[in-house]
This record gives sequence, C-alpha cells and structure tokens, in this order.
Amino acid sequence: MKNIKITITAIMALFLFQACSEDKMDDINKNVNNPSDMESRLIITDVMVNTAFSVTGADASFYAGVYSELSAGNHNQMYNAQVRRADPQLSSTYNNGWNNSYEQLRTLGIIIDKCTVGNEQGNYQTLGVAQILLAYNLSVLTDLFGDVPYTEAGKPGIIFQPKVDKQEAIYLDIFKRLNEGIANLQKTTTYASLGSQDVIYGGNSAKWIKAANGLLARYTMRLSLRKADYQGVINYVNASFATVDDEMKLAVSGVPNPFARFELNRSAISVAKSFYDTMKANGPADARTEAFFTKKAGVVVPFDNSKEDIEGQGVYSISALMSEANPIYLMSYHELLFLKAEAQARLGLAEAQTTMNAAIKAAYTKKQVVTFTAAQADTYIASIPALTGNALLKKIMVEKHISFYENEGIESYNDIRRLQALGNGDLIPLVNPKPALFPQRFSYGQSDVASNANIKDLYGDGSYVYTEKVWWAGGTR
Amino acid sequence: MKLKFNGFLVLLLVLVAQLTFAQERAVSGTVSDNTGMPLPGVSVLVKGTKTATQTDFDGKYSIKAAPNQVLIFSYIGMKAQEISASSTSVNPKLKNDSVELESVVVTALGVKKSSRALGYATQEVKAADITRANNNSLSGALQGKLAGVAITPSSGAPGASSQIIIRGARSFTGNNTPLYVIDGMPVASQPDFSTGNGVTGADVANRAVDIDPNEIESINVLKGQAASALYGLRASNGVILITTKSGKNLAQGGKPVITFNTSTSFETISKKPETQNEYAQGSNGVFNPNASTNWGPKISELPNNPTYGGNVANALNGGVLRPGKYYVPQRAKAGLDPWVAPQAYDNIGDFFKTGFTINNTLNISQATEKTNYSFGVGTSKQDGIIPETGMKRYTAKAVVDTKLNNEWKTGFSFNYVETKIDKSSSANDGAIVGVFGGPRSYDLKGIPFANPSNPYDQIYYRPGVFNNPYWAAKNNEFSEKTNRVYGNAYIQYSPIISEDGSQKLTVKYQAGVDSWTTNYRDIFEFGSKLDLSGNSSSANLYGTTNDVINSLFTLNYNLNITDDFNMNVLVGNEYNHQNTKEYDDTGTAFNFGGFPTITNARIVTASEYRRQIRTVGFFANAEFSYKNMIFLGGTIRKDVASNMPRGNRDFVYPSASLGIVLTELEGLKGSSILSYAKLRGSIAEVGQSGNFIGNSYTTPSYSGGFWVGDPIQYPLNGTSSFIPNNVQYDENLKPQNTKSYEIGADFKFFNNRIGLEYTFSKQNSKDQIFSVPLPGSTGANSLVTNGGKMRNDVHELTLSVNPVRTADFNWTFNVNFSKIDSYVEELANGVDNIFLGGFTTPQLRASVGDRFPVIYGTGYARDENNNIIVNAAGLPVADGELKVLGEVAPKFTLGGSTQLTYKRLSLGAVVDWKNGGKMYSGSNNLMNFYGVDARTADRTSEFIYPGVKEDGTPNDIVRGGAADPNGQQALQAALNGIAESAVFDASFVKLREVTLGYQFPKLMNNSLDVRASVFARNILLWSKMPNLDPEATQGNNNFAGGFEQWSMPQTKSIGFGLNFTF
Repeated sequence: MKNIKITITAIMALFLFQACSEDKMDDINKNVNNPSDMESRLIITDVMVNTAFSVTGADASFYAGVYSELSAGNHNQMYNAQVRRADPQLSSTYNNGWNNSYEQLRTLGIIIDKCTVGNEQGNYQTLGVAQILLAYNLSVLTDLFGDVPYTEAGKPGIIFQPKVDKQEAIYLDIFKRLNEGIANLQKTTTYASLGSQDVIYGGNSAKWIKAANGLLARYTMRLSLRKADYQGVINYVNASFATVDDEMKLAVSGVPNPFARFELNRSAISVAKSFYDTMKANGPADARTEAFFTKKAGVVVPFDNSKEDIEGQGVYSISALMSEANPIYLMSYHELLFLKAEAQARLGLAEAQTTMNAAIKAAYTKKQVVTFTAAQADTYIASIPALTGNALLKKIMVEKHISFYENEGIESYNDIRRLQALGNGDLIPLVNPKPALFPQRFSYGQSDVASNANIKDLYGDGSYVYTEKVWWAGGTR
Repeated sequence: MKLKFNGFLVLLLVLVAQLTFAQERAVSGTVSDNTGMPLPGVSVLVKGTKTATQTDFDGKYSIKAAPNQVLIFSYIGMKAQEISASSTSVNPKLKNDSVELESVVVTALGVKKSSRALGYATQEVKAADITRANNNSLSGALQGKLAGVAITPSSGAPGASSQIIIRGARSFTGNNTPLYVIDGMPVASQPDFSTGNGVTGADVANRAVDIDPNEIESINVLKGQAASALYGLRASNGVILITTKSGKNLAQGGKPVITFNTSTSFETISKKPETQNEYAQGSNGVFNPNASTNWGPKISELPNNPTYGGNVANALNGGVLRPGKYYVPQRAKAGLDPWVAPQAYDNIGDFFKTGFTINNTLNISQATEKTNYSFGVGTSKQDGIIPETGMKRYTAKAVVDTKLNNEWKTGFSFNYVETKIDKSSSANDGAIVGVFGGPRSYDLKGIPFANPSNPYDQIYYRPGVFNNPYWAAKNNEFSEKTNRVYGNAYIQYSPIISEDGSQKLTVKYQAGVDSWTTNYRDIFEFGSKLDLSGNSSSANLYGTTNDVINSLFTLNYNLNITDDFNMNVLVGNEYNHQNTKEYDDTGTAFNFGGFPTITNARIVTASEYRRQIRTVGFFANAEFSYKNMIFLGGTIRKDVASNMPRGNRDFVYPSASLGIVLTELEGLKGSSILSYAKLRGSIAEVGQSGNFIGNSYTTPSYSGGFWVGDPIQYPLNGTSSFIPNNVQYDENLKPQNTKSYEIGADFKFFNNRIGLEYTFSKQNSKDQIFSVPLPGSTGANSLVTNGGKMRNDVHELTLSVNPVRTADFNWTFNVNFSKIDSYVEELANGVDNIFLGGFTTPQLRASVGDRFPVIYGTGYARDENNNIIVNAAGLPVADGELKVLGEVAPKFTLGGSTQLTYKRLSLGAVVDWKNGGKMYSGSNNLMNFYGVDARTADRTSEFIYPGVKEDGTPNDIVRGGAADPNGQQALQAALNGIAESAVFDASFVKLREVTLGYQFPKLMNNSLDVRASVFARNILLWSKMPNLDPEATQGNNNFAGGFEQWSMPQTKSIGFGLNFTF
C-alpha cells in the first residue's frame, strides 16, 4: 500500500515537472495562427500592392492633389485642407500615411536582408525589385516630409527613437539603390521568377530595369535646382519604357483605385474651378474637357477654389474618369515622356515639342476605363501652335499637370514645388486665396511627434510646413 | 417463590414508576437576553426527550421535567444554554451567539478559516442578500453590498456585460477583473471578445452571465493580494469565491428538502429623455422631411409650409387644399394617406416596451449520515425593453458529497448552462438614434418601417447611415448563444495520525473542467443603412470553443504544538490548461433580403485562431496562531506560465499577514462595550503574466483610415501575401508586478450589535504589460513590453449595526464606503497616454499623472483665467489642442442596506451613492445638436453665451431673439464640435432594491414553508446628468463606465416572488 502511494506520488511529480518544462511550454506557446518566418516572394507582393494603393494612390495623393489644385476638397478633412484650416500642419493629418510608408521600408529591409545576408542569398530578382521599391518608397517619403528618419528607421524594439537623416543623403541612397537594383536584376539566379507574386510586372526583370531607369529620370529631374542634369534625364528616359505596356502601374482586380473608393466612402473631393478653367483654355479641340467631369443639370459645377467655397457633399461635379478599375500609376508612360520633353525644352532641343506631343498622346490614350482615341489626341495636338522657350515649357508643364488628373497628385505636387524653386512658379499658377498657407511639405506623423524626440523637436507647432521648403526645393531640411 | 417474585417485581415497578413520575413536575420561568429583555419564541427542550415548548410573548414558559433532567434553551442568534431542572424556577439569560464571531470563512483554495484568523480583509455576502431582490445578474445583485469593489454595469439590457473591479485597476489595457472560483474550480468570467473601441456593434456579454445567483449559497470576496496570493498569477485582481448550494447545511438524516423559487418582474426604462414638443423636423426654421435635425418651424405651422402644407396650394396637393394638414412623404411611400394633421409624437414612449423577467429554480437536497446532495434546475427568461432583445438561461446542477469511511471522502459538483442573448447595437451602429434623436414631428411608430412591397426598402426620416429602429429590431440580429459545462470532482483523505487530535492531516485532490462554446451572429440585413445595393449588409459569424482543465492537489497538516500554539501548513500544486479556438467568418454585400447568412454574401472571408495557455503552480502556506489571539501567516507560490517568453516563465510570489485579536488580552477580555477588536496587516506581491506569442507574419489588412470596411481582401485572384506583424513582442517580457500593503482593524461593540471594519490598502503596480505605441518610423505600430507604473490607494469602511433585536422586531443596517484612487504614475518611455476606446475625440485614455482613466478630447478654448472664449459670432469655439476633460472614477461610493423584520414580515432596502466621476454622453450631445432635447425648447429668447471675447472683455454679443431666429441652432452646432460640452458629472443616488417579504405560517400539515415577496429595483434615481441613467455606457473592457453614445438604456423593475420549501 505504502509503495503504491509512493509510486503514484513519484509519477505525478514527474508528470508535473514535465508538464512545465521549457520545451513543453515552447510547444504549447507555439504560434499556430501566423507563421514566424516567410519566403521573401510572399512578402514582396503586398509591398507592391501597398506601395500602389496606400503610399501612392491614397491619402498623400488626395492631399497633394488638393494642394496642387488638381482637385478641390469639399468635405471634412479635404475641405479643411482646401481652405487651409489647421489640418495641413497637424501631426494627425498624415499620420496613417507616415506610419504606412515606414512599414513598407521596414518590410523591404527584411526582404533585402534575407536576400543578401539571410537564407535567400542569390535571390537576385527579388533583391533587385526590393531595392527599386525601397528607392521609390523612400523618395515619396522624403519628397513629402523632407528630412526623415531613414538609416535608423525600421528597427522596432531595437531603435526606439530613430534619428533624422538629411534629404540630400537620402537622395544619394535612392540613386544608389536604383543602380544596385538594376545590377542585381541583370544577374542570373537559381531562384524561380517572382511570377504571379509580382503583381506589377509578373516577374519580368527587364521591365523592372526600365522602371528603375524611369525613376532615375524622375529623380534626376527632381534635383534640378541642386544639380541640373537634363541630358541625364533624357538618357535615363531612353533606357526606360518603350511603350505604354512597360509603365509602372498596378492594375489588379480586387485592388480598387483609391480615388474611386474614396469617393464612394467619403465624397470629399470634387472638381476644382481653376483646373476646369485650365482645361477650358485648351479650347474645344481638347475632347477631354467635355468628358473629364460629371455634370449637374447639364453643366459642370466646380468648387471655386479661388475662394472659401461652401462645404458640402454631392453639391459639386466630380471626376467622370473615376472607376475602381482604373490602374494606380507609380510611374506612367506619359509622365516619362513629359520628363523627356521638359529636359529637351530646358536644353533648347528642337524635338521638345514632338516629345510633348507624344506625351499628350500617351496621356490621352492611357489605359483607364474612360479612354480617348489616338485620333482625338491628334485633333488636339494639331490645335497646338508651334511653341518655343518659356511658352513651350509652360505648355509641357500644364499638359503634364493635366495628364496627372485624377490620381497622380503626388507628382503634381512635387512638380509645382520644383517649378517654384526653379523660379518657374508662373508655369502652373495657383489660385488658392491663402498663398502664404501653401504647404511646402507634409507635417510629420503623430506617432513620431508623440514618441520620437528627434521628430518632436523638428515638428514644433507644425507651422514649419508653410515656411520650410524641402532641400531639393531650396530649403535646408 | 413465583408469587413472591411477582409481587416484588410489581412493587419495584411501582416504585420505579413513582420515582419517575412523581418527581416530574412543572418547571417555569422567564427567558431574557443579557440585558434583561424577555425573549419570546425561545425553544425549550428537555434534553434527550421530545418534550419541548416555546416562551410566550413575555418570555415565559412552563415545562414538565424531573429535577435530574436538563433543559436546553435555544434561540436564533443566541448561544444555546443547558441548565439543570433541579429547581422549579429557571430564569436563564441567553447570551449573544459568539459563534457569529467565530464565523468560518472560505479563503483561498477553499480553505476554511475562522474569520478572526485572517490578517487581511474579505467580505462575505450571503444567499439571502444576493437573491432577495431576484436579480438574475450576479454583479447586479452585488451592487451596493461590498466595500472596495466597483461594479460597472454596461446597461440594463438582458445579459449586458458588467465589470467588477476590486480595489481599482492595476493594468492599463489588460484584465482588471477578479478571478471567479466556483466550488473550488476557477471559471471564466471575462468576455470572450472585447468590444474594442466601443463605438460600433453590440455589447458582448461576459461569461459571469452564466452564473445563476439563485444557486449561490455564499460569496466571499478576497479583496487584497495577500488574501488571494495562493492563486498566484491570476490573483492580482482579487478573487470572488462562490460556494453553491449543497445539502451540507441540512440536518443530518433528515428527509429531502425541496425548494421552489419563482419570481416575475417587469422592467421599464429607468430614465426617459425629456424632449421639446413644439418644433418640427428641419433646419434653420425650414421643414425638411429628410433632415436628421429638428430645427424646423413650429409643428403647428407645418400646414402652412409652401411645399408640404395643406393650407396652401402647391404641387403636392395640386391646388386642392387640405386645411390643417401637411404632406408626409414617408406615409406616401408606405401607401398611407400622406395628409395628416401635425403633432408631436411620443416616439420614446412608443418604442420602449415593458420588459419582463421570469426566474424559476427548483432544488432538491438532502443530507444523510454519509452523503449529502443537491440537485437543481433553473430558468431565467427575460424580454428586454427594446423589441427583439432578451435573454434565456437554463441551468442545471448537481453537488454530491459522500463519506466513504472515516478517512476518505469524495464528491463532485457539476453545472450545465445554456445562455442565449439577443442584443441591439449602439454608438455608430446605434439602433436607438432614431428613438432618442427622432424629430418630434415624425411618427416613428405610426409610419411603417418598410415599403409594403419590399420589406428591405426602409421608410425612415433619415436618408442613410442609420437604420429605422423598428426595422433594425425586426431585421438586424446581434445574438450570442453559449453552451457551457463546468464542475469538478475531488477525493479527500484524512488519516487519523494522532490519538489526541493534536495533529491532523488532509490530502485532497480535485480535478475540474470549464468548457464552453459561444457562437455569435452579427447581422446587418439587406437594406441596412437604407442601401438597396446590398453593399452595407453583412453577416459576421464568429465564436469560440474553450476548455479549461484545472487540477489541484493540496496537503494540509495541522499541529497543536502546545495548547496555545498551533501550526498549520498547506502545500500543493495546481495545473491549469486552457485550449481556445475561435473562428470569424464575414460575408459582406448580400444579394437579396430575407436570407441573411454567409451563403448570400458576395465577398466572404474567414479566419481561425487557436491558442493554448498552461500555468503550473507550486505553493505553500504556513500559519501560526498563539492563544487564539495572534495569527501569523505566510504564503509562497511559484508559477510557470506558457504564455511568457522562454527563460522568463517562472515567477515566485510571497505574502505575509498578521492578525492580533486585542480582545483576547487580559483586561480587554469580556468587555460588553468592546466585544471584539482586531488589528491586521498584510503585505503581498503578485504578478500578472502577459500574452507573449512572438513575432510573426500576418495577412495584410487595409481597413481603417479613410476606408469603410476593408477595401482590399487577400487572397487577390489566388495570390496571397504575408507581411511582418506591426505589433512586436519583447523577447524579454516579464510579468507585471503588484506589491500591496494593507492595514486594517475590525471592531465590534455592545455585544456585537455594532460592527466596524476599516481597511487601507496601497498597491504599487509596475512593469505593466501593454502594447507600447512606437514611433511610426520604427516601421511597427507597437511593442508588447513592460512599462508604466500605477498606484492604488484604497479606503474601505464597513459598518454594520443591529439597533433593535427583539423576538418580534429586528432591524439591521449596513454601510459600505469605498474610496478608490488609481493613479497612472508612469507609462513607457516617451509615451504619455494610451488610448482605451472611443473616437479621436472624445476618447478614454490612461494619462500620466491623472487618475485612471480620463476622458480626453476637444475642450472649450479658454483664457488664462479659465473663461470660455467666444468667437466673433458670440459662440464658443474648440481649443486647438485635445486635453483631459475629466476623471471617470468617482470620488467615493457609498452603499447602504437595511433590513427590518417584524414577526413574519420583512422589509429591506439597498441604496447606492456614487459621488463624483465624469462621463461623456454622446446621446446628450446629439439630442441637443439635433434640436430634440428639452434644453433646446427655447428658440426665441435672446442669450449671451457666458464667456469672454478674444480681446478678453466679457462677451456681449447677443444671439437668438427675433433678429437671429437660428441662434440656438448655431449655438448647438458650435457645442457639437466641443466634446467638453457633453462631459457630465456622473454622480447618482439610486434606490437599488426595496423588498417586502412575508413568511406564511407552516402550511399543509407543517410540511410546507411559503415566503412571498414583492420587490423593486432601481426605482428611484437621482443623477446630475440629464436625460439618461449614468449607468448605461459603452464597452466591456477597461473602457467601460465613462463613455456613452446611443448606449442601451438602464432599466428599473418591479416584481414579485414566491418561495416554497417542502
């Protein structure tokens, strides 16, 4: 009897200690819902989707489109931005976009690490694509926010308050990443092509290389104030998209065009009168003027953005191009051609207007739900007289501005600030009645203002957004 | 010889008989208490016989007894006395039952101890006090009856969640509710799902809803950490120990006792908003039949409206005048005569119906020599005051204990529960927006809620976003159904190890299980939000299956070292393993109406979540007592928790307590003024583990921000993606730690007629585990790590008085006072606040330097003298910065209860007073903004908003009046942008319970006891906040109690009950 008791006690004790050994507990605490590691090809897909939908197509594009007067904000936050209430300087305004951009940078960092020092060494295609996407995301971030955390960013739990890097240094890295990306995409790899996980180019490295060259053209032009290299722009353009099929865009069913979804969910953006006027000035030959905007009782009712027009939903005309099926452009073919046209014009090259005409045609025929024919483009192009000098430059820039309608707001906003810095502010005049409150940049995100002392100091009360230009626009930060 | 012998025998018999009978004579006297007051109804028994009587109204008795016999005098509440009947006059004085003092309380791990032996505060609530007012919610039944315990109901809706927090919060976003232990088995009491930010959907009940208060014998609340330390990791929030009814307390060898309780009550809204009744739907004085606002013309002026009026020719009447009437387009859509005479409708009174609740419980129990048992079944059926809401609960239980022999004992306790709750939605999905906020001129009940030819085509005064409340009640569904089993079985071995009883050993092993499945359905039917595209309809089907296994082994050794010196040692082990599986299936955009399930959805997503958590604990407890006067105890427990990172899984927590009964000291002993005095103090340290799971990759989500719903749902055309989780886990996570100190004193005066207990406790909690927000530039949203400090200072005072105690009349009253101050001393580095729930503004948050939690949001712009600044239009404006608008926690709470018994009649009452604390009332804000509230009735007077102009001079800008007919609307629109304007003092006084009971004389041949009662709950309410009961708020988590927006209303009830005992 006694022996039995002792045996039972011993067995129970043994069971109990085994029941809570570290290995057993690890087993119990295993995450069975979410994988702890992941192949880079499955990670990079959403970076592309997110970069298109959230980084490029959503909040930043809406606000930038309002500031660049591509559209007008008629409701709530967009209206507040339109009439320059406190929103442009509040840290909460761009917080979602700010946080989202850094999530992409961190994720890309993880992919690049995997493919360079991690367990996917030699996965050159994924590495090259990740480097190009990193450069792209980095430029959107620094173009909008100026000096931002970069070298210390994306290390949660390790670096709690990332320091801020200068825009100039960040741009050096952007170029470096793009060139590295091109080099890696040219290497042979034993890894399978990204294939369908690459929702932009379907795993076609050649197209990614073209895209990288297109971006090099865009960023070279961006830095014109600091270091003009218009021939460089032309060279990069020549190495980039040869046809509209090469352009860098996302068109996947299941990913709605954010501009259309924003209208469905918020109805906060409408036609800006100044933009409508710009189009009307093209004359009746421009078929787009008639087709771009919805009508109310037969007429276009724009929001008069030259004054503090009335806030309201469903009151004003909206874009008639709008469709959730429209692609989201990261870098369009028409933009590329306009870059070349501008570079040629600035160099005084004769072919500038021809290039512009090609760009206008590309803009007319861009692959959206509402399309225009090549014949309509030709009709309009034929109505444009031969132009030279500033008039040609102006036409190029105005046409580029129009080509960005409706959802390439970020590039429009970048162009306007670049032109102002170059002394070409007259090319796309702004009509907002509060020019002193034209935001020179976006204000830092609230999450950093609240808990990163480096950003908190730079943010102050947020009013710097009206006075401090970014470095490439002549500013210091 | 034979004769002789017979004769002798007869003689002897006669002699014996004479001896016996001749000496039996009447003994009489008066029984009184020790003050000399005669005691009627005292039972007098001749020991060892069945001869018995009772004292009369003057305390007199007479009984036949022989001089060598013994009389037993017994009376409830008094110590029984045995007195020899040697004299014919016996006049005993009965003393108060000091057993009351020695009352046994159940402490941690079910160990029973004399209350005097405790070095910490516990508080017991008996069955009678829980069930007297027939509340079918346990937490509701405890309100006002405990000190140091905050009970926050979410609403009066059937099955509504409710939070019990003992001695304040210790965790910012984690669990602050106590551990529930039923018959020795820890059971789940928390909600399966959090209501999150608390601004969408319906409430989610917490699992304490499964407990039927009628099955409870007693509740003992272990408030401090020292009291609960033996429970280890789960003990930091205190413990609610529930003992259910069993046959234990019945007379041994008696017959089965059958009890049947039934009660019926009727519920109505506890506070009905007051409305203006003069003005119609519209804005700026103009009628608009589709406006959400009520700033139109006078209702009586509607027939003169140029578009809709019947007094004037217009397109709608085609020139045929309809004098005194106006055109209601919604009536036209419903196929009714659109022309009606305008009036103000009682939309609120029409909508809320009288709810009713029927509770029935049947119990049979018996105690035989070896076995006692109790079997019970119960039902509770409740219909809410909102149509289509309600709760049904069915419970069955069995408790059996049996002695196998002198050393072995075994038993089990088994419970089955089925709970089904039908709810309604609130806040952004609010069903009652249109009831409280409905235009005064709109006939919400009279106009059908749907197109007669299409039941999903709503008819409503608003064109979108919110549903017609009648349509929502009929078509939307928010339901939850739980099936649950919990119980345990034990075997106990108590060998006799010493002949003289100086040593005792008890070994007990108990194994239990708590297993439940809850399925939830949240349905927005086709046509929801007046969207006939179906895009706003959805079915969210989710649920959880859980099983928790608990194994408990204890060994208890007691040794009387000397007569004065006793030692008790307990060692043991506990093993607790929880298995959880959850599912979440969402279908959005139904194709057609009438088939609201996932099959009918155009987009379907599904997910699964599984989790296991195991805790293994080893514990020991040692107690020493000296002369029944000094009690010293200490515990130590080591826990190993699976849900912490490797290398950081085991923790050791100690506690110590000391109690000194001063009245055992010579000199103080036996005093009738100070009957009892004890000083006590304790110190303890306990932890709370986090829920570490490690870093992982997740499916991307795009919901939030500007988007309604999730605009992108993976997989995309067969392509999946995984991204790093933006919530990171600290690999060095350690448990959060609470150190507590407690001192207290218990006094009883005047032979225990007055009892006073006071406790002060201080808790310092540090290393709180929460998702510390990270700067976005780190690429992650938050890091689950340790950070922050909290401090709780708690004063508890309990006073119990028994001013009158005679045989016919007994009066007692109790007062429970609590002052609980929880301060947030520190959050993680660089973080000065944490969001708990609500909107961007207003919201509730934990904020450094403030009490926990605070209301935060837009305040009035004020000058340095705190004057409200008005703008050029003479109206207040919002301050640019968001700020703290008020503390949610009250300054103090006071609960009082009283019980009067006169003969067979008893009257009881419970009053609850909450003093201070603020809450945000979104309903009050919007009822003003909409122009429905009675406070917006005056639209013609001129007013100057009290404040200063931007230049600092007093505001002299006149608004309103004939020159500014829309001034009042402009003011309310301005206030709507200032959250502070809807922050109210949440103080209230409530008459929680009133009960009147009558105990019938024994019926049916003395075999039936019947008690009848009538009761009322929450019938009187005084509150500072207008229109609404401050006890109706949003949320089932730490957000609860301070934020209201179209929340389900509170109820008051009145009913009757019958209690039969066979």
